[in-house]
Parts: sequence; structure tokens; C-alpha cells
Amino acid sequence: MKPVKIAMMGMTHGHTRKYYQTLLDNKKLDWVASCAQDEDAKKTYELYQTGVPCYLDPDEMYKNHPDIEAVVIASANDQHFAQMKWCAEKGIHILSMKIPTFDMKEYDEMIAMCDKAGIVCQIELEMHYNAVVQRLKKLVKDGAIGKIKAIQMTNITLSPVWAFPWQGDPKASFGSVKRLKKGDDRFMGGALCDHPHIFDLIRHLTGSDFDYIYAEVAPNLRDGLKVEDMLMAIGRMKDGTSFLFDPSWSRLEEKIKVPGPGWERFPKRMEVNVTITGEKGMLTCDCFGPNVYHNGAPNDRYTVQYTYFDEWIGLIDEFVDCIRNRKTPLINLKWHKQTIQSMLGCYESINTGKIAKVG
Amino acid sequence: MNIKKMNRGLDFLREKYISPERSEPRKRSLEGCAAKGEITLKDGHCWVGATPLIPGRMERKIVELKKMTENGTLEGVSTLRFASFAPKGSDIEAMLAKELDLAAYLGASDVVRVMAVANGNAVNVLAKLANDVNVSVEIGAALPRGEAPYDRHEIIAKRGVACDQTVDTHTPHASIRCWNGGGAVEYTDVDTELFGLSYEEIWNVRAAFALLQKRADAKVWKAAWAKAVKAAKLAFAADKAKAAKTIALKKGLDTNRAIKVAEVR
Repeated sequence: MKPVKIAMMGMTHGHTRKYYQTLLDNKKLDWVASCAQDEDAKKTYELYQTGVPCYLDPDEMYKNHPDIEAVVIASANDQHFAQMKWCAEKGIHILSMKIPTFDMKEYDEMIAMCDKAGIVCQIELEMHYNAVVQRLKKLVKDGAIGKIKAIQMTNITLSPVWAFPWQGDPKASFGSVKRLKKGDDRFMGGALCDHPHIFDLIRHLTGSDFDYIYAEVAPNLRDGLKVEDMLMAIGRMKDGTSFLFDPSWSRLEEKIKVPGPGWERFPKRMEVNVTITGEKGMLTCDCFGPNVYHNGAPNDRYTVQYTYFDEWIGLIDEFVDCIRNRKTPLINLKWHKQTIQSMLGCYESINTGKIAKVG
Repeated sequence: MNIKKMNRGLDFLREKYISPERSEPRKRSLEGCAAKGEITLKDGHCWVGATPLIPGRMERKIVELKKMTENGTLEGVSTLRFASFAPKGSDIEAMLAKELDLAAYLGASDVVRVMAVANGNAVNVLAKLANDVNVSVEIGAALPRGEAPYDRHEIIAKRGVACDQTVDTHTPHASIRCWNGGGAVEYTDVDTELFGLSYEEIWNVRAAFALLQKRADAKVWKAAWAKAVKAAKLAFAADKAKAAKTIALKKGLDTNRAIKVAEVR
């Protein structure tokens, strides 16, 4: 199979660096270029010494690499629409970060332009390629606990805002500046926007759609943050499944500019945990564990050192398979729309104090 | 171990990662091309050709621990506290050889002295590395048949303690615990590309792949495994003699250097 000529754009998303290894290793890909949003993003990119040229102007990149077939859009959420349009106009396949946009009019336009261009647009929800999630889905599918009655899921992390400031900027993260609720001085665009996985995973596990959702924000842990960092949501799926989600930035961090050792203050910087009660039994699941643990440098604090890295490998494999074999990605724009709507439902519920119907 | 399935996994990796035509950055990323070769099983141990595999060195938890000893996370390693427990009928000498190899690897120095006290299907061992690091190893083969084996590797240093078990526990954490009419079952899956293979099978396949890619050096592994097997044998001899046995330090080939693992990931 001819390797897919691939590029990266933006380079300001928190997941950007996680692609480097697999883009270099996967023989089905030929990573030919990168294009950074600005000088700062370019400087950070260059720290990783990938050997792949980096541009600041996408048109210049395209002029020098007209054979680019696919792009990983690794940018702030408010840049996605324009970058997708740029790709669609050139017939370039897209791997988008996890929030294409929260503006549903824009979202529908994204679907239309990708359909018109006949390109693959895969959304990055890398948890599906985690070995533990594979086992979890298999157990549920095989009926190990019977029909699901209730699910609790956490997608809790430190906050990336100090390294990736756009994630604390309501316009860049949410797409527009909207107050969380009357009398609250914070805006939509914080922790919720960083954590779509659990809103997606429940749909795969139950095979059902969202019915309604109710959410509450708590006081922020971080002073000066314009967006929410602590919230919880509960609700019901159309098949009756009750759920409780925690998509908070509840793990504090050091305010470092480039992610690296010592970023976390709480020992584990990211947790995706699932508890499911079914008609025949129950299960608990830690999607990122077990690992190894230490209290060494740089901060001499007890720290979890991860041993799980497979997500990006499987994600890219699927993307290439979809491009070369004309397949539809598991997480495509149309599928993902309800996941985004359920997250918007959280904001609506926070704003109104009532349940929000989804879809 | 299902050798046929393991070789299918090895073929999958070889096919996926090795390409004669690659652009410049990827040429640097993966060094060399994978030679032909398949995994065989002799006396309960996996080999590729005449080279014994050392799957323990490929386990991700060991890879991360090794990194910590080399990247400055830990400073001034003093003591290694290891343990390994397996179902009845397991070969405790082979288990000890694996742990002594990991001690040399993580301690970055060869075993030069070993003392042991054995009792049936259990043995306690105290070893010394050439760099003066102490090593304790607990080995037991008394778990019920069919139970998953488990181990523990703790590195105690002047700066920092690292371990593959979390604090305040004495058995390993599992990724999934499922309760139903059949009782409780635990699952820990560690490799998406080789999903479906057992833990032991996965690391043997990864080891074979590293060897075929020449990221792992066959000469190093042959020498390292020979040292580990010898040290384990001497441990039982020390038990019988009630006296520690010394092992002459061989100069030359460094058998404890880290292999490039991140490139596979």
C-alpha cells in the first residue's frame, strides 16, 4: 500500500506531541510537513526534533508539498472550521481534534463540505484504541454483566491551560464568549470542552442515545481562570441507563509552558475510570492503569508514570485504513454530533438550572 | 504459551513497521529491517534461532523503571526489592533467573554474589551487584493452578523510590474487575496491537521483534541470559552449601544497557 502523505497543522493542541512517534513509525504514512499556528508553536515543535519541516503559512506548506493527502488538525477549537475548509477545498483528508466545533451551524457546514469533497474526516477520540477500553467494550458486548443499568465515568485531568492557553480562552475553546449562568463571572469553554470521551463512550457501551442531562458547576480550583474547571453531570440515556459523569480538571498542576516531568501535583495527571452496574453483575475499570510509580525528580512527589501509549497508534491505523479503503471512521462527524450536543446540553443545564433534552 | 499465535503477532508487527522505502525522518526512527525468524519454545523458554528471548526487559513497566534509573528521576540506587509468585508447578529456578536478570538490568551492574535459602517451592535470595547495590528476591510457586502470576519490582534510591506496584498495596492493581454470577474476574490488557495474547506471550513477541529489528543485540541477550541462569543455579548451590557464592565479573560486553524501546511505540 502506498504510504499516505500526511501533514500536521496548528501544533497548539495539547495532543500534538503525542502524534510524533506514530507518524514517524507507521510505514503506512509519510509525514512530510507541519505548519505551526505561530512562532511560539513552531519553537515548541522544534524542541522535539522530528526532522519534519515546519512552516508558518499553510499555503506555503502546500506549495512545497502539493502531494499532501491528509492533515492532522492539531489546533485550538476556534481554528478548526477554517482549517477544515482549507483541507476540503483541496480534497485533503482530515483527522480533527476531539471538538470540531460547538457551533452547530458550523458543524453542519463541516459535514456538508466534507461530504461534498468526498474526504475522510475522522475525529480524534483515541480512547477507543486503548487496550483496556477494547476489553471493556468486549465484556459489555459479550454480556458479562448483562444489560447496563447505570454508569459512572470520570475523565479527570490536570488543566492544560498554562501550556496551551487557548484552553482557558472562552472564544478559542468554546468558539464564542458565553457566560456560564446569570451571576457567574465565568464563561463556557473549560474542563468540559477538554473531556468528550465519556460522552462518546457511553453511546458505544449502551448502544443508546442521550435522552436528557443535568449538570452543575462547582467553585473553581484555579484562581483567575475565566472558564469552568469543576463540574459534574447526571442524566439518562434513551434505553433508561442512568449516568454520572465527572469531566473536571480536578487534578492540580505546575504552571509549566511545555508539558513534561513534574507537570502534575496530584500523583496521577489523567484518569478515565468507569463503573458499570448491569442486570447480571458489575465492573470497575481503570483505563490507564496499572502503571509504575515513583517519588523522584524533578519534584520528589509521588507520581504515576504511565505505561499506556497505544491510543495514537490505533487511531492513525484507522485513519489510514479509511483513506486507502474508502471506509467511514468509527468517530466521524455525523456520529460525533450527538456527543457534542450532549456536552452543549451540560452548558444549557448549567445555564438554566434545569435538565436539558439532547438532540 | 501459544507459539503459533505469537508468531502471527510477530508477522503482524514485521509487516506493519518494516518498509524498505521510507522518507528520511522514518529512516531514523526505525533502525534496520527485521530479519526473518520465528519464535520457538525450548524447555519452557522462548528463543529466536540460537538467541534466548528476555521478555522481562520488554515489559512496559520495566522499560519505564529502566528509564527512571537513567534519566535522573532516581539518583543513587541503593537497593532493589523484587518478588515473583506463580502457580504451583512453576519452575522457581527459571523464575529466579528472570528476576536476577532484571536486577542486573535495572541496577545496571552484574550480579557478583548470591545467597539463598530455599524450602520446597519457595526461595528467598539476597544478591549483590558489582556496583554494591543490594538485591532481595522473594520467589514462590504456591498460587493455585490457573491463577495469574504476579511480581513486584521496587528500586530504592538516595533520591526517590520507584515501583511497579502502587503505594499501600501488596498485590497488583488490575485494569478491570468484573463481578457476576461466576464470581470476580480481573483483566489487565497492555497492548492494543497484540490484543488477545496473554501477558507472557505479548512480551515474548515484543522481544522477538526487537531482536529481529536489531534494536536488541543477540550477543548481549545471549550473554545476559547465560549470566542470569548461572546466577540462579548458584543461588540454589549457595542454599545447599549455606554459604554465599561469588561470581567472577566478566569484562567487556555491557549486557545491562537499555535497548531502544520507544521506537516501537
